[in-house]
Parts: sequence; structure tokens; C-alpha cells
Amino acid sequence: MQEKIIEFKNVSKRFPGVLANAHITMDIRKGEIFAVVGENGAGKSTLMKTMYGLHAPTEGEVFLHGKKVEKFSPSYAIENGIGMVHQHFMLVPSFTVAENIVLGNEKRKHRFFVNEPEATSVVNDLCKTYGLAVDPDLKIEDVSVGIQQRVEILKTLYRGADILILDEPTAVLTPQETDDLFKVIRKLVNELGKTVIIITHKLNEVLALSDRVGVMRQGKLIGVVETASVDEQQLAEMMVGREVLFDKLDKKETSGDTLIKARDIMALDKRGFKALKGIDLDIRAGEILGIAGIEGNGQTELIEVLSGMSPLVGGAIEMRGKNIDGLTPHEIREIGVAHIPEDRLVTGLSKESSIEDNMLMGLQHNDQFSTKGIHINRKKVGDYANGLIEKYDVRTAGKAVKVGSLSGGNMQKVVIAREFSFNTPILLISQPTRGVDIGAIEFIHEQIIQKRNEGCAIILVSAELDEIFRLSDRIITLYEGEITGEFKSGEISKKDIGYYMTGKRDKEHGTNDKKETNSTELKGGE
Amino acid sequence: MERVKMKENMDYLMSLGTAIFAALLIGAMIMLFYGLNPFVGYQALLVGAFGSKYSIATTVAKMVPLILTGLATAISFRSGIFNIGGEGQLYLGAFAAAYIGFTFTNLPVFVAILLAVLASAVIGGLYALIPAILKVYYQVDEVITTIMLNSVAILFTNYLVNYPFAADQGKMGGTNMIDAAYKFPKLVRLSKLNTSIFYTALIALFIYYLLQKTSFGYNFKMVGENSVFSRYAGISNKLYMIGAMVISGGLCGIAGAFEVYGTHYRFLQNISPGFFFDGMLVALIVRNNPVGIVFMSLFFAVLKTGSTSMEVATGIPSEMVLVIQSIIILFIAGEQGFMEKYRRFKLERKEVA
Repeated sequence: MQEKIIEFKNVSKRFPGVLANAHITMDIRKGEIFAVVGENGAGKSTLMKTMYGLHAPTEGEVFLHGKKVEKFSPSYAIENGIGMVHQHFMLVPSFTVAENIVLGNEKRKHRFFVNEPEATSVVNDLCKTYGLAVDPDLKIEDVSVGIQQRVEILKTLYRGADILILDEPTAVLTPQETDDLFKVIRKLVNELGKTVIIITHKLNEVLALSDRVGVMRQGKLIGVVETASVDEQQLAEMMVGREVLFDKLDKKETSGDTLIKARDIMALDKRGFKALKGIDLDIRAGEILGIAGIEGNGQTELIEVLSGMSPLVGGAIEMRGKNIDGLTPHEIREIGVAHIPEDRLVTGLSKESSIEDNMLMGLQHNDQFSTKGIHINRKKVGDYANGLIEKYDVRTAGKAVKVGSLSGGNMQKVVIAREFSFNTPILLISQPTRGVDIGAIEFIHEQIIQKRNEGCAIILVSAELDEIFRLSDRIITLYEGEITGEFKSGEISKKDIGYYMTGKRDKEHGTNDKKETNSTELKGGE
Repeated sequence: MERVKMKENMDYLMSLGTAIFAALLIGAMIMLFYGLNPFVGYQALLVGAFGSKYSIATTVAKMVPLILTGLATAISFRSGIFNIGGEGQLYLGAFAAAYIGFTFTNLPVFVAILLAVLASAVIGGLYALIPAILKVYYQVDEVITTIMLNSVAILFTNYLVNYPFAADQGKMGGTNMIDAAYKFPKLVRLSKLNTSIFYTALIALFIYYLLQKTSFGYNFKMVGENSVFSRYAGISNKLYMIGAMVISGGLCGIAGAFEVYGTHYRFLQNISPGFFFDGMLVALIVRNNPVGIVFMSLFFAVLKTGSTSMEVATGIPSEMVLVIQSIIILFIAGEQGFMEKYRRFKLERKEVA
């Protein structure tokens, strides 16, 4: 039996109105990879924040290296060898890798100046020790997300962490980068004796990586199990608290006219750089076209030009035979397009408004809801909203509740309910299940497939490869604004598609070492 | 109305009540500090505002510009475009109305008044159109342009009344009188209360209906709350922002016309002592709610009317009222923060118990 490095004894954390953690008793052993899984809002992050000293528990005790923690503060945690890599990286984009790593603990020249050469050599030493390759002189804004994460890990190691907490570390990574990360984690644990705690909701990763799993649900620790003794199904059930059937979705054979036809389309991103460099698309009725790609490779812009939110700078798009160049989002919607945007809070909802008002959007001038398009008939709108709340299973105290106070999954259901109820033949769907619970994901997927079976032409952008693979009839990979591959459902595996997502076009992958990522290869250890 | 919404409104009314009470309390403390009796002071204030038929009429009369400029603020702020230029729009509107009144002296009364009110609304609206277009098409900050355009309008009308349109008799910074037949009849002798209060009530009803009950009001609100969302969902942000600004300017213009036709019967170079800014405060306090604006206008009017009598009767300077107003604003600005603290406090107490 290994030594217990962290022990929770009956730890509870109460926020006003919610019990985020309820009587949690568990221990983490030295030199293991411990996974914490649970749905959004299950209390994973709260527990980890307690561990990292970001807040104190309301009751209960935490022991670190067998010693009771008296003072909960991040500095205490860091002094005692706990390091945390947050889901959203805490890096300064305009600083170099080395500067970011030493930031806060940098060696000074004449008290005021950072000793740059020393920082670089310190970082080089770190890389050697831990077998993590990064170029210390590159700026953070110029390196990939995978490397940024590596920098975050190095930062914690630089500060002497023995226990690393990784919060949703694979959310932003490609399959390859995920594999690389796992190698790093295994090396840290197996060869260097570190302890790693990983918070995630991706069960396949838990199974692939961890030694033990703690499953959380509604603030409670449902159980801690040896990973080897469970399968994905069992974990999912523990997480959700009921049987989860990832049924094969019932896809009807359909084929219809081409509803979206795009030729050589080009678009600019927010900074004015070319984000789409000439893309052709054809999407037929009754078909889901999945767009796979690492975030920031043109998916956002693709949906924006299709929906009219940003202008086309080259090429042409026809929807149902109509050229949409220069049309406003309103005019494109008139053609028969609905749009589930990637960021519901920025684009898809008004959080200050009620559920009812958010569901009315787009129909406020419709005769069905307003007399002569002017006088809103609140009774009818209310009935309509109640109907949608029921149909789409929005969990809320009522239609007058402000959307901003709903959970992410329920907000998403409001967006989906509204957009799907327009009954348009074309659907633009972006990140439909981002931040949504497993139960709701299943529901949303069913709704999307139902739309497909009804004969909608659907374009689906998602950062979750599982989702793309599950739903799409056809998959296109985007890399730096260009299409690098196109596959029918079943033609390619999740593993192989990553190579196309990182810019390779040939099928001869794996052996060539021409990876374009800048000096990012995982050296050491192999 | 659902319970959720009711509760929200009740919560806000509670906060507002608390803020007003606290402001009055602080006002009382200041009076005590200067050795004055706050009970006597506040009593004098109330008597000044409600003590006689005349004082009630004066109080109600003061509501007219407050309500109109308050509604003007509400419609623009709700739509996410901030018209701070109501004062200038009011001056121009007042001048336009006065011009109609002293130039076309032989029209039927009804036609003349309609024409004057329309002219004031159109001029006020057009003047607001300038910053609206600059904002919508050229991303020029409307807060800055509208503030600056205030001075332009006030100084321009100053010039007009002192030179080209100066009154024939006596140089007193005013135009000629409007035709006597056009004057709004007084409702209470010697007071300033006149029929404009009825027109104001009609306008308030209309704006209330527009904002709360129609699809246009819904669109204004959505554009103001999240303009990315409204564009995504097919609302023309440009149209609604410009529309809100023009309506706002029009309302301020009408407020100016009512000052001319109901109170002064001519345009004066200092016709408004900052009515718009008071109206803006009124709207801010009640979060641009049209019904709230009417009630808060009454409260402000009471303070205004009462403060003068308070000064005369007790020697407490009428500026005390400004202090009270400011404190209310301060509390309301911090309302969300205070309420959050309070809710936490309550919850924690409950959990301990």
C-alpha cells in the first residue's frame, strides 16, 4: 500500500444556496494517477480548488503529506508541492516560454531586471529533467495549445510541484497532442515519482490513463474504483446515476437536393487575417456534414459567413439556389436557415431576458404571436414557451426565469429549442454540446439526428471528435482555413483523422517526422 | 405575471425603498450636524409640496418635463445607445415650437399646437439623428457627441433669441410671445399646472405600450441587451438604434415645446435648468421602467417643490435635496452589489440556524 499523500476527511463546501461538496472522504496515494470524473456542476472543480487552497472547506479536514492543512491558500499549497494546471491557461501571450515559466519566481539582475539567459537555461534544464521539449525563446502566442499546456506543466514543476492537478487537460487538444500529454503524465508518475490528479469528463481517457477513479455526482463522491475493474458504461452510470444508453442513433437513409453549395469561399478572422482560404462545400438535404479541426482553423469563420454574421471576401455561397453574398443574417434566415452558434452567451441568447423572451426571438413579428406583427400576445407566447420547455426538457422554475441563471446545458436547450422550432431546411450547428451534461448530450444528439432524418441539410462544427463521428454522414477536416481531407462516415478512425487536422494530407502518417509544430516533439523517454 | 418576475420586481422595490429611506436618513443626519431639526425640515418639505392646492399643482406641474425626458432616456438606454444630449434637443424643440407660435398667429388653435408639437419633435429627433448616424455607421461614441451637441444647441438658441429672433420689446434673452390663444390653459390659478400634464400622460401611456407590449419594444430591448444576439436573430440593430435615438430626441423636443406653451409662452435662453439631466436620473433609478419613471418623477417633483418651502420655513438650504437625490443614485448604482451581499448574509444565517 502506497503512502497517502492527500486525505480528505468528511470535507464539505457550501456556497450560498448550494452544497458543492458533501461529506467527501477519500485519499490520493503517492505516485498514482487519480482521475476525478463527474458531470458539470458535480463538484469536481470545487474539490480541486479546496485542494489547491483557493477556498477553505466549510467543514471537514484535509491532510497533506499526513499533516492537517490549517491554512487554505494557494501559496501554502505551492509550498507543499501542489501545482495546478487550469483549464484556461494562465499565461502571458506576449512573453516567451521561459519568461512565463519563471514568472513570479524569476532570478533578478540588480533587483529589477529579469535574468533572461538564466531563465532560458533553467527552462532547458527543466525540459531535460522531465523530458518535455519546448523552445524557451518562443513567444506563447506563437506556440500551439499543446505546447502552452506543456508550459503550464513546466511552470508547476519549476515551482517544485510533486502533485499536479490537471483540470480538463484534453479539452483543447488534438488526439495526437492528447497522446503526447498522456506520455508525459505517465513519465512524470512512473519515472519521476510525481502524483497526478486529472479532472475530466471524458471517460475513455480516464480508462486509458488513470490508476483509480473518483466519481462525483451532485456534490457527493459516489465511489472510488480501481480503473482496471470498470468499463466506460459502468463509469457513465455512476456519473449520471442511471443507465446511460449510447444507443446507436437511428439514421435513416436519405438523399436529397444539394441545399448548400459553396465555391472557393474566403473569409477573414477578427484580426483581419485570412481564416478561410478557398473552400468548396456541398451539403445535401438529409445529410450531416461534420467539420473536424482544432479550434481556430477556420470553423468559426465558416459558420459566420454561412450565417451572414461576417462578410464573404471571396467565392460564392448558394443556399437553396440563392446567392447569399451581401445578405444580412435576417435575409439568410428568410431563405430557411437556422443557426446554433458556438458561443451561446455571446451570440445565442440574451441572459438578461427571460426564457420566454429568448424563445420568442425571431417570431416576434409573426402573426402567430403578435397582432398585425405589433401587439405581442403574451398568452400565446407563454404557451409556446411552456411547450418548448417541456418538449426540450429545459429544467427551470418557469418561463419567466432569466436565461442567465440557467445551467449551461439548459441554456443550450433554450437555443436549440428556438432554432429547431423554426423548422428550416438548413441548420448550421456549432459546438452543440459544449459544457453540456451527458444526459443532455444524448438528448441533443437525438434531436439533431431527427432533424437529419426529416431531411435537413446540416453542417456540424464541433471540438468533440466523438460528436463529429457519432453524428456525421460525411466529415471534412479543416486546417488553417483549408480542407485537408474528406471522408465518408466509417472511412476513417478517430485516431487517424488527427493527422489531417494537423495539416497532413497524405495517408502515410506516423512515420514521417515532418510535423509542422515548432520543435514540439516529445523527446526523452523514447 | 409569473411569480419569478413578481419577486424580482418586489425585490427591486424593496431595494429602492431602502435606498430612499437611507438617503433621507443621511439627509437628516446632515441637518442634525448643522443643528437643525430634521423632523421640522422634512415636515416643511412635505407641506411645501402638498400643503395647499397651489403647492400640489406646482408639484404635479414639475412632473411634466421629468416624465418626458425620463422616458426619452429610457427608450435610448434600453436600446443600448446612450442619448445624453436631451438638453440640447429640448432647447431646439422649444425654440421650434416657439417659432411656430409667434410666426403663424392666425391658425386654428388645435392646428397650431399640433404643428408646434410636431415641429419640436421633428427638430429634436433630427438633432438626435446626427449622433445616432455617427454612432451606427462610424462607431463614434454617442455619449461624447451628444454631450457636446448639448452645448452647441444651447449656445445656438442663445444666439437666435438674442439676435435674429430677439423679442421686439426689451432685451431679455427671449423671443416674442406666442399667440395668446395657443397658450395651454392653466388648471389651477396662479400655479404652473396646465393641460400639458394630460398630453404628457398620453405620451407616457404610448411609450409604455410601445416598450412593454409591442414587438418593436421587444426589439429595442433585445438590441440593448445583446446586440450580437439581436443581429444573429435577424433584427436590424442599426435601424433600432437610430429609431430609439430619434424617438428619444423627439420626446425631449416635446418637453421643450410644453415648457414654451404651458409655462413661459415664449422661448427663453435659459428655458431649462437641466430638466433632461434630472429626467435621466429618474430613468436610471427605476432602470428605464416607464411606470417607474412616472412615480419617480413625482418623488423628484416633491423634493423640488418642497425644498424651496423648506428653505424659506426652516433655513435648511434647498441644496439638501440634491444631496438626497445623489445618495439615492449612489445606493441604486450599488444595488446589485449590496443585494448580493445581503442575500449571502441571509443564506449563511439560515444555514447556521
